[in-house]
Amino acid sequence: MRLRGASAGIWPALSILAGLLLWQLVSLGFSDFILPPPTAVLQRLGDPAYLAELGAALAASLGTMLAGFAIAFAVAVPLGTVMGRSPRLAAAVEPVLTAFYAIPPVALVPFVVIWFGLFVEGRIALIVLMSLPDILVVTLAGARDIPPRLIAVGRSFGASPAQMLRRVLLPASLPFLFAAMRVGLARAITGMITAELFLAAAALGGMMKTSAEAFDNAGVFVIVVLVCLLGLAVQSGVRRLERRMLHWHMEENR
Amino acid sequence: MRRDMLPWNLLGIVVALGAWEIGGRMLGDGLLAPPSSVLAAFPALLRDGMAEALGTAMLQMLVGYACALLVGIPLGVLMGRSRMADRLLHPWLSMLLVTSTAALVPLFILIFGTGMAFCGALVFMASAFYIMLTAYQGARGIDRRLMAVARSFGATRMQAFRMVLLPGLFPYLVTGARVGLVHAIRAMVMAQMFVMVGFGGLIAQSGFDASTAGLLALLVTIMLVSLALNRALDATGHRLAPWYRASKAGH
Repeated sequence: MRLRGASAGIWPALSILAGLLLWQLVSLGFSDFILPPPTAVLQRLGDPAYLAELGAALAASLGTMLAGFAIAFAVAVPLGTVMGRSPRLAAAVEPVLTAFYAIPPVALVPFVVIWFGLFVEGRIALIVLMSLPDILVVTLAGARDIPPRLIAVGRSFGASPAQMLRRVLLPASLPFLFAAMRVGLARAITGMITAELFLAAAALGGMMKTSAEAFDNAGVFVIVVLVCLLGLAVQSGVRRLERRMLHWHMEENR
Repeated sequence: MRRDMLPWNLLGIVVALGAWEIGGRMLGDGLLAPPSSVLAAFPALLRDGMAEALGTAMLQMLVGYACALLVGIPLGVLMGRSRMADRLLHPWLSMLLVTSTAALVPLFILIFGTGMAFCGALVFMASAFYIMLTAYQGARGIDRRLMAVARSFGATRMQAFRMVLLPGLFPYLVTGARVGLVHAIRAMVMAQMFVMVGFGGLIAQSGFDASTAGLLALLVTIMLVSLALNRALDATGHRLAPWYRASKAGH
């Protein structure tokens, strides 16, 4: 997924500004309960007590998200690499993976509750279940597409298995590992907020539920925007890391 | 999937089902009902009106999904063909793509209530931007030279659109529709589970049963429906445009 491209000039910023203005104008026609104006949402952030609460919730959410993502990544990457290097194994696992992928992840919630409970273990489990298949699919596709040329060159120069892994396979798989990380983190963030809303209310999801129960729509908006910004920040962070570490790959693809 | 790998595909399915059956018998119905118990749970579920609940849910889903196609495809194509539209819409697309559907649930309940509008709006938000993204990628990737050739052969704007742009775009539109459908079904189940109605409500309630057989039967049902709909879209795409599968757009 490539989201860059047309970021040139001031037009994107202008478009966002126009959108906010439109939101402000439209919200005049509705009560604040239904559609609060952006200024009301911003006003929230001026309250230091609220900000402290928001920060603590964000930290708690991020902690669970990263724990779940780390487990999923640690399991899915080796598994996907092995599967990608063996066409038969891949053929055996693919239909099962496709079937599991077709189950809406949120429908696994009752199961997660039975196995892992309503609290932090359950949240981590749901995050793992939601991000693991996506990481696996990307890793599998990447491992399958390592150019055989590279491996042949390594062999003909007499590389030992350890050298092969470090000098050939690892550098060749870094690009798709970054892709897997991007996809996995996006899914983990979705899993995080899903778990916090559908299991016992906690952290950011808990704050959302409390605000919703008080019909405080501005409070709900704050969290929606925050989760969205978190997603964008994580994506651009991984991309920046990728550009720094993989400058050779970027050059090659130009 | 390649045909010569078919035995391995089947082996994978058999091994998975076998492992599930053995694991299920060891753990018991309370933790993981084996496939045999899950099959036995179907008659009771059908008696409780599972089929009707599923039908209504799919209908609601289709309304939101159709709106997503109607909005997502034209906007995506516009973005792909016009630099200005790209500049103006891209930030919104990036933002809405990373917005978790789950985070919108409490907000949409306050705005739309808990009825059909809520479910449809959630489905729309979950699928429209993936459809838009794929249409955008397709429209952007159309070879400029092809368009130039069409122009130099005296094609009008309309003809160039119909004869060059549309065939090149089609594979992407089918891929977008398939990706969007997966997200639409997910959002539909999510909406219904949160407010405990319809098919999603059945799933949420079956979590309180002593046995997981009913829950697993519901999961298997929605899985089969999702796979079948996806396969149907794939087949339709192939029939309408045989070059679609060869191009494997967006995969």
